[in-house]
Amino acid sequence: MSSFGFGLLCLISFTLPVPILAWLDRARRKR
Amino acid sequence: MYAGHYAAGLAIKAKQPAAPTWALLLGVGLLDVLFGIFVMLGIERVSVTPGISPGFSLDFIDWSHSLAMSIVWAALFASFFWRRGRVIALATGFAVFSHFLLDWPMHPGDLALWPHSSIHIGLGLWRSLPIGWWWIELGCIAAGCTYYVVRARRLGTFGGRALWACAVVVLLHVVNSPWLAVAK
Repeated sequence: MSSFGFGLLCLISFTLPVPILAWLDRARRKR
Repeated sequence: MYAGHYAAGLAIKAKQPAAPTWALLLGVGLLDVLFGIFVMLGIERVSVTPGISPGFSLDFIDWSHSLAMSIVWAALFASFFWRRGRVIALATGFAVFSHFLLDWPMHPGDLALWPHSSIHIGLGLWRSLPIGWWWIELGCIAAGCTYYVVRARRLGTFGGRALWACAVVVLLHVVNSPWLAVAK
């Protein structure tokens, strides 16, 4: 793997989970 | 450390629920986001070391990961949230600095005190415990996630799918294991 590829992988690895975890953290609406 | 940073982010969220979740989660990984950008720009250097744990050598990461720059990035990140109040600004700043604190036990002496400092620190569990580091990080994840789930259930203002969030963090840790990681 090239340095550029490693950097890109790192960038994606530390940004992609953010919206997923933030969405899972949202409080559920009470009915 | 990778998934352990997210567990720390969830734990900080549990401690300070008013802080925006996205900011805490982005904050805990900010140093590695900067690292990725700096490596692509040629400002920092990494080399792949197949067969030598953890599979890569962080040859120069002083601008993203040094102690002094971690404090600078934390302060800068926190400044964006100052208008939301001192407590939230401190929480987001601590999220960024927690990255340095959690990297210190894992990194093999590649964390500079400041850019181009001759002094580098790091306990080096990645090297001394090629498999054991993964279990130690799993312990950190378990602690952070347990605190997050307990507080989420008690307060009810966050963590609507707390167990699923923890499952995602554990999945990320499994993907980053010595057995499955892309760079190993």
